Amino acid sequence: MTMWKRKLLDRLFSGSAYGAIAVMAFFLVIVIGPIFLKGIGAYLFEGTIDYRRMMLNQFNRGDEQALDVEWAEVKQERKIIYDALFAFEKELDNMSSSRRRELKPAFKQTKEAVAILLGPEPGTPLPALPRRLYGQTRWERAELKAKDVLFEESWDYSGAQGKKVMTPRAPLFKGTALEPLFSKIEKDLESLMRPERTFYPQFLTDKSIDAHFFGGIGPEVMGTIYLALGAMLIAVPLGVIAAIYFQEYAKEGFVFSLLRSCVNTLAGVPSVVFGLFGLAFFINTLRVSPGKSVVAGALTLALLVLPTVIRAAEEAIASVPRTYKEAALSLGAGKWRTILTVILPAALPGILTGIVISMGRAAGETAPIIFTAAVSVGPMVLPSEIFTTSTPALSWNLYNICTEHEAVDEIRHVQYGMALTLVMIVLALNTLAIVLRAKVSRKLKG
Amino acid sequence: MNIETPKGKQPETHIEAKGFSIFYGTQEAVKRVDMSIPKGAVTAIIGPSGCGKSTFLRAVNRMNDLIPNCRAAGELLVDGLNVYDAGIDASVLRRRVGMVFQKPNPFPKSIYDNVAYGPRLHQSYAKRELDAVVEESLRGAALWDEVKDRLNKNALGLSGGQAQRLCLARALAVNPEILLMDEPTSALDPKSTSRIEELIVQLKGRYTIAIVTHNMQQAARISDVTAFFYEGVMVEFDETSQLFTRPKEKRTEDYITGRFG
Amino acid sequence: MKQTEQFILSEADVRRRKFFTGLGQTFLFAITSVAALAVLAIIFFIARDALPFFSGSRTWAFFTSKEWYPTSATPKFGAAAIFAGSFIVTLTAVLFAVPPGILAAVCLSDLLPFNVRQVVKPVVEILAAIPSVVYGFFALVVLAPFLQDTLGAASGVNALNASIILAIMALPTIVSVSEDALQAAGRELREGSYALGATRAETLLKVVIPSAMSGIFSAVLLGIMRALGETMVVWMASGNAAQIPSPFYNLLQPIRTLTATIAGDMGEADQMTGSAHYHVLFAMGLSLLIFSFLCNLAGEWVVNRQRKRLRGA
Ligand SMILES: Nc1ncnc2c1ncn2[C@@H]1O[C@H](COP(=O)(O)OP(=O)(O)OP(=O)(O)O)[C@@H](O)[C@H]1O
Ligand SMILES: [Mg+2]
Repeated sequence: MTMWKRKLLDRLFSGSAYGAIAVMAFFLVIVIGPIFLKGIGAYLFEGTIDYRRMMLNQFNRGDEQALDVEWAEVKQERKIIYDALFAFEKELDNMSSSRRRELKPAFKQTKEAVAILLGPEPGTPLPALPRRLYGQTRWERAELKAKDVLFEESWDYSGAQGKKVMTPRAPLFKGTALEPLFSKIEKDLESLMRPERTFYPQFLTDKSIDAHFFGGIGPEVMGTIYLALGAMLIAVPLGVIAAIYFQEYAKEGFVFSLLRSCVNTLAGVPSVVFGLFGLAFFINTLRVSPGKSVVAGALTLALLVLPTVIRAAEEAIASVPRTYKEAALSLGAGKWRTILTVILPAALPGILTGIVISMGRAAGETAPIIFTAAVSVGPMVLPSEIFTTSTPALSWNLYNICTEHEAVDEIRHVQYGMALTLVMIVLALNTLAIVLRAKVSRKLKG
Repeated sequence: MNIETPKGKQPETHIEAKGFSIFYGTQEAVKRVDMSIPKGAVTAIIGPSGCGKSTFLRAVNRMNDLIPNCRAAGELLVDGLNVYDAGIDASVLRRRVGMVFQKPNPFPKSIYDNVAYGPRLHQSYAKRELDAVVEESLRGAALWDEVKDRLNKNALGLSGGQAQRLCLARALAVNPEILLMDEPTSALDPKSTSRIEELIVQLKGRYTIAIVTHNMQQAARISDVTAFFYEGVMVEFDETSQLFTRPKEKRTEDYITGRFG
Repeated sequence: MKQTEQFILSEADVRRRKFFTGLGQTFLFAITSVAALAVLAIIFFIARDALPFFSGSRTWAFFTSKEWYPTSATPKFGAAAIFAGSFIVTLTAVLFAVPPGILAAVCLSDLLPFNVRQVVKPVVEILAAIPSVVYGFFALVVLAPFLQDTLGAASGVNALNASIILAIMALPTIVSVSEDALQAAGRELREGSYALGATRAETLLKVVIPSAMSGIFSAVLLGIMRALGETMVVWMASGNAAQIPSPFYNLLQPIRTLTATIAGDMGEADQMTGSAHYHVLFAMGLSLLIFSFLCNLAGEWVVNRQRKRLRGA
């Protein structure tokens, strides 16, 4: 091979290696980016007057008097719309039957779209579902729903793929009493909805109302905390003791290598199999709880993270300089005292790193808790109920509200908010781990 | 053998080896050593690298127990009791036989906690008492004035010489009778070395000190008696002045005149 | 002055001490055994609930038939298409992930300067830390519409979508384990090759990577295990149709995997613990378990062989 060919190959190879790193960074940005950008929207958004009314009614938050004043003004604005609807209904009765047949379906659609945009018409009986009690609470949703009032949506299947066609309704109702409604909504949507910059930190702690249409993700956050903490409470003592045994007591031999292989194998068990095991063992055999429960889920997750905890603790213990141990023993400390007073404290940052990483893992895992702990909707679980009650959890409910929810598209902001919250919890724990690890390596350097 | 302490009294034997051997697996690292280390004196152990000095020293407080398949034979008596007897409590033995290691090895704790570590193990002290013990030990190691204002700082911030004196203070704090030192100055600069040497001279009498060193001048300067080890065998054991000026053995002479090792 | 403490113990004391030390060690051993033997309990309980399924004709159909109608009046439990689905996404994901994974490992171990590496490594770690359900969510709301619009797939949730996400998830494992292997190959080896005038690419491709091959192999095995055992992503992104794509390499068709089937069906099946549907899901769990054991064994075998070779046997 000639020199320049070899050089070229070298360049190509290095280039593609750098490229691979770039690809990974790209994936990271592409996955986290949208979740971050849109997830913020659950906490920070333009809330409409309906949002503020909802908050006052459902959560008793906000300034009631100021809202009364504002609401009176908005009602005045909205009156034009309702007047138009009312007048047109009258008008409809007096129309020729063919014209009526032409306009009535479109009118009904319009009326429904208005009810979705602005909430139930004053004076009509209140609907049962909270989601129908208010108009659109978020400005970007209001803008979207306003389009449903203004346009008729239909699908054109003439091409290879269906194409959405938006036909304005206003021309159809030209000259009728309904006409002002369209121009009002088109031009004055802002004064109808009164959007205001809203910061909603309680999204993290509020209960959800009407299957996540309103409110926050408090029960899910709480459930995730229960499960992750519970799993660590079980896994850490077990794991650290096992690590001490492996590092300080066990002698090489058959038993040692058997236990070792068992731990290695445990690390390779697929997470959904842990779920099956939790169901078959903790619930159906040990009966730690009558059905799914926080405790059953925590036990299952504990097993899942156990190998990670053991390995991290072992590594940390092994990296404690031997001289510490010698010094302690030479002062007359027994083996157990040496472990407790010198080795474990020196290994602590390393062990903590492992614990924190495992905790992130436990918080994010879904498959093991599907059959052992998770429930799609439920109230916040009290500490006294952990042996009996299943709990919502961020990971499971994120799955649930983006696949099995009856109105997946309506609550995108909640889905993103939940994903962001979960990612932030896990990332915060991992950042903590990275910081801890940096501290350890600095310490070892002297 | 007739050894005289500087005061001229007939010395009392504190540590006595009788046909004492140590094996690593099948390799005999210390071979049938007989020697009596006198009470209150400084005993230097010299010899070329790998001759078993550390192994012997570490046998006295049974630090060799840490090494798997390390085994002892014969007798090693401290105050007339064989330390390898079944009934011996290694922790209590180690409390009476302190050790300072080659590299300073303070714990990653505060200076105070380092010194207080030993006392806390063996007894529960009131805060005032413990403060007194810590101060006394630090003074004993000539470190008090340098660290009294930063007792709660991490000991890993001390210089090498300071750290080694801290380790000495830590060993003194449990009030041992014997101090074993395995090349305590080999990792230190000359100035720190001479401070440690001064200390050793100050401490002798109160403590029985056994020190391993590669530095012949050091052995000559500070020790009362010297043992020369060669390939696991104790070749010669005599008063320091004797051994360095009129060695009886050819191998000793070759070693101290620098012909090998 | 000094109170001389007796350091010889009475025989009773010796016995007591032995007893307590023994007790302590037994306690440690017991706890460790619990932790380690959990895996045996897992095998036992999964097998216990799986075995009732395997009776005569059902076993044969399970592995060969494509008819998966677990809830019909006369249920059919042919899981061949589901096995194929797991196989297809795993294989594709690993094929996607291995080349960039190894290249990225090379870059981390040999190309990047130390301080840049300190920045890049957390990227790998974070990629590994993101919960799978979040990846699934991404697959569903970002990647699926994208695939639908650009590739004209009938549905954005399909084998390709799941494979891409699984590849992203397997990448960090492959990168970090391969990097360790490359690092372990050592400086001398590299310097030896450079000294002969080899370029960096030649050194890495002809000397370093071959000598790190066993480590890279275990990295790939771990990647396979990760992809095969992953549940949420395939459940959310693969479309969950129990069918073998036609032709089999048509990744734009939806498929269904073992893990997703277990996760999706157990919700209905656990109400009737003991039903054939319940047991067939455990049979799938057992299959997964056995496969991951085989991967583990293969990994250990390779590592042991390498260790022997290094010892010069
Ligand atoms: N842990 C061990 N396992 C096996 N052999 C050992 C061990 N420690 C020391 N040895 C061997 O025992 C012999 C004596 O070692 P020792 O450390 O006592 O020598 P030393 O005189 O202290 O040497 P140095 O002056 O270099 O410190 C040497 O041959 C050494 O290889
Ligand atoms: Mg030595």
